[in-house]
Amino acid sequence: MKSVVGKLLVLIASVSVILGTLPACTAEKESDDDDSDKSEQEISDEKSYYKIKHVDISPKIDVKMASSGKEIFETKCSACHKYDERYVGPPLGKVTKRRTPEYVMNMIMYTETMLDNDDTVKSLIQTFMLRMPNQNVTEQDARNVLEHLRDYAQKN
Amino acid sequence: MISMFTFLLMSTIATSALFFTGCSGGADTKAIGSVADAAMKVYVAPGAKDEFYDFASGGFSGQVAVIGLPSGRLIRVIPVFSMDPEKAWGFSEETKPMLMTSHGFIPWDDSHHPEFSMNDGVPDGRFLFINANNTPRIARIDLTDFRTKEILEIPNSAGNHSSPFTTENSEYVVAGTRFSLPIPNEDVSIETYSEKFKGTLSFIKVDKATGRMSLAFQIVMPGFDYDLAHAGKGPSHDWIFFTCYNTERANTMKEINASQNDKDFIVGINWKRCEELAAQGKGQVVNVSYAHNIYNDETHTASSAIEKNVRILSPADTKGNVFYMPTPKSPHGCDIDPSGEYIVGGGKLATVIPVLSFSKMLTAIQDQKFDKEIDGVPVLNYKAILAGEVEKPGLGPLHTEFDGKGFAYTSMFVSSEIVKWSLKDYKVVDRVPTYYSIGHLGIPGGDTKKPWGKYVIAYNKITKDRFLPTGPELFHAAQLYDITGEKMKLLLDFPTIGEPHYAQACPADLIMKNSKKIYQLAQNKHPYATKKEADARVVRKGNEVHVYMTTIRSHFAPDNIEGIKVGDKVYWHLTNLEQDWDVPHGFALLGANNSELLIMPGETCTLLWEPKTPGVYPFYCTDFCSALHQEMQGYVRVSPSGSSTALTWNARK
Repeated sequence: MKSVVGKLLVLIASVSVILGTLPACTAEKESDDDDSDKSEQEISDEKSYYKIKHVDISPKIDVKMASSGKEIFETKCSACHKYDERYVGPPLGKVTKRRTPEYVMNMIMYTETMLDNDDTVKSLIQTFMLRMPNQNVTEQDARNVLEHLRDYAQKN
Repeated sequence: MISMFTFLLMSTIATSALFFTGCSGGADTKAIGSVADAAMKVYVAPGAKDEFYDFASGGFSGQVAVIGLPSGRLIRVIPVFSMDPEKAWGFSEETKPMLMTSHGFIPWDDSHHPEFSMNDGVPDGRFLFINANNTPRIARIDLTDFRTKEILEIPNSAGNHSSPFTTENSEYVVAGTRFSLPIPNEDVSIETYSEKFKGTLSFIKVDKATGRMSLAFQIVMPGFDYDLAHAGKGPSHDWIFFTCYNTERANTMKEINASQNDKDFIVGINWKRCEELAAQGKGQVVNVSYAHNIYNDETHTASSAIEKNVRILSPADTKGNVFYMPTPKSPHGCDIDPSGEYIVGGGKLATVIPVLSFSKMLTAIQDQKFDKEIDGVPVLNYKAILAGEVEKPGLGPLHTEFDGKGFAYTSMFVSSEIVKWSLKDYKVVDRVPTYYSIGHLGIPGGDTKKPWGKYVIAYNKITKDRFLPTGPELFHAAQLYDITGEKMKLLLDFPTIGEPHYAQACPADLIMKNSKKIYQLAQNKHPYATKKEADARVVRKGNEVHVYMTTIRSHFAPDNIEGIKVGDKVYWHLTNLEQDWDVPHGFALLGANNSELLIMPGETCTLLWEPKTPGVYPFYCTDFCSALHQEMQGYVRVSPSGSSTALTWNARK
C-alpha cells in the first residue's frame, strides 16, 4: 500500500513538472499566455521560510506607490522581466494573479531563501536555468513594485 | 577550544608531516617543534575566517597584498601605483587619471610602507596610506572597498622612503627624502652635492572627515638620506622622528663613503609647533608642480590636477623645534614603543640597538646639551638622551615592533633572526632564526599604543630552498611566529607578492563591519551611467561613439551594434545593473589594445576602443556570472572609414 502511494506521488509530481505546475499549488501555472481571470490571490500563504509573513493589500491601488514601484521595476527588474512575454525570466504582467503578495515580496527581497526553499521557484530555475539575482531592494521599494504589478495586472 | 574532529584532523596532518620528514625535504621540525601544534594554530577551517587582515606592501609590484592571518592566505591584491589589466586599473578611462604625475602618466612604482589611519594611536580601520618610492607619491586606500581613492605627488623629493607614517590621530602623514636633491631641482654638477643638495621632510594634512590629503608644508634639511620615520604618541604626541644616514654627505660609492661616521642621527621634530609656524606664515611659498589625483565615489571617476605651491620652512624658521639625536650607525628603522617614551633606532651597521628616551630628550633640549650644530640644526648629546643599549643583539638590526607586554622584537638582517628584548632592562630574552635575511617585521598593531601581540611576521628577502623551485627568481616569503609564550615559535611560511617591505595588520572586525557589498545604482552619478536597460543606446558625436551598455545576469544590452567605422573612437560605458554582492560582470573585446573591464554591481566603467580594420568583433563577459555566462556575448560591426553603414543597435523596451 505504502509503495503504491509513493509511486502515485512520484507520478503526480512528474506530471506536475511536465505541466509546469507543482503539487503544492496545482492551481498555479507558469506560462506566457496565462490570462486566466482568477482574481488576485488574497489568501495569505504563510510558508515557514517566508521572511515576510503577511502583506496588507487593499483592493484599491495606491497610485503613488504604484508609480514609484514602476521606476524601481524599470531599473532593477526590467533587464530580465517583461510584462507579457518570456524574457530572461518569466513575464510579470499578471504575476499577482498567480502568486500571493507574500510570495512576490519574499521573491524580491529574500531571493536566495526562496530559491533554496520554495518548490515553485525551484521548478522555475529548471525552466529558466538561472537563479534570480537579489537586487537589494528595500521593503518599501519591494512593496511599491508589488503595487505596480497589481496595478498592471488590473489594467491589462 | 577545539573539537575532537579538529584534533583528529590535526593529528592526521601531523602524522603525514612527520612521515614526509622521513623522505626528502620534510617539515623543519627543529624550528617548529610539534607540527600538530603549529598546524592547529594556523589552520582556518573551511567557512571560518581569519582573525587578522594583514596589508603587505608589494615593493616593486607597486601594489598592496591583503593577507589573512594566521592562515597566510592571499585574499586580495589592491592595485595602487601599477597598472593592473585584471581590474582595468590605469586602463579604464575612469582610472587613468590616478596614475598621472608631473612627469606624465607613470604605469609603475615601488611601494614600501603601508600605514593605517589612526585615532588615539590605534588603527581606526578607515584608510591605508602607502608610499611610492621612485616617483614620490602617497596613496590613500579606502578600506570599505579596498580601492585607491587618492594619490598625491610630493614635490622637492626623491626616494620617498621615510613615508607615509602618520601622527597619533592621522593629523598628518609625512614623506621624507632618501635621496637629497638640489632644491629647486636644477642643472648642477653632482660634485656640488655637499653644498647644494638638500633633504625635505613633507607634512601632508589629512582631512578628518574625508581623509583627503593636502601638502601643508615642507622642512628643508641638510643633504642626508632620510630613511624611515614614526610619530610619537601619548606624551610624545606632538613629535615625529626620522632616521637618517649618509651624514657624510657622500654622493658616490655610498656603500663605503656613507658608512664612515660612527653615529648618524634620528631627527626629532615638533610638528605641532612647525604647524603653528607655517600657519603664522613663516618660511616661503615656492613654485612647484605636483599632481593630485582624486577618485570620486559618486561618479566612479578619477580626476587629476596639477598643484603649484608649497610652503617651505628652513632650519632657521624652525629653530628650537628640530633636533638631531646621535644614533649608531647608519640607522634604518625608527620605532616608538606603545608608551611613546622610547625611540628605537635600528642601526644597520651598529653593534648595539640604541634606545633613546623622549623625556630625556626634552630635558636635554631644555638644558641645551648640544654637541654642535649642523646647518643650524642642534645636535643633542648622545649620553644625555640615551635610555639604554641592547648589547650583542645580533647583526644588522633593522626594524622593531612591540607586543604591548613590555617586549620589543627587532629584525636582524645580517644574522637572519628576530630578537626579543625587554624594554625594562634592554636584555635579550629570546631569538629565533628566519629563513632568510629578514627585512621588516610586523606585529598586528605593533607600532601603535595597543598592540595585538599574538603573532610576529617576518618579511624575508631571500626564500631559497623553502618552496618548490621556480627557476632563478623565487618569490619573497613571509613567516608567522607565535609570540604568546615566552619563546617565539615558528608556525608557517607563506608566499607574498612582489617584495614586501613593511606590512601592517589589524583585527578583521575593525574592517569587516564597514565592508561595502555593492555600489548603490541609485547613487551612481557617472555622467555615462545607464540605469535601466531601456536606456541602453549608442550615440555618435563626429568620430566619437559612446555606447551606453548595461549588464545583468546574463546579457549585454545592446548586444549587436553596427555602424562603427575605422577611425572612430568608441567609448564603451558599461553599467552593471546588478545590486547583489560579488556579482561583477566583465567586458572583453577582440583586438582591444588596453584591458578588460570588471564592473562591480552598480558601477559604471569605460573602455576606449579604436578599431583599425573592418570586420565583425565579438565581445563577452569575462567573469563567470551564471549558468548562462557563456551566452553573455555580443557583436560589433566595423565598416571602412567613410562607409554609409547606419548606426544601429538592438534596443529592448
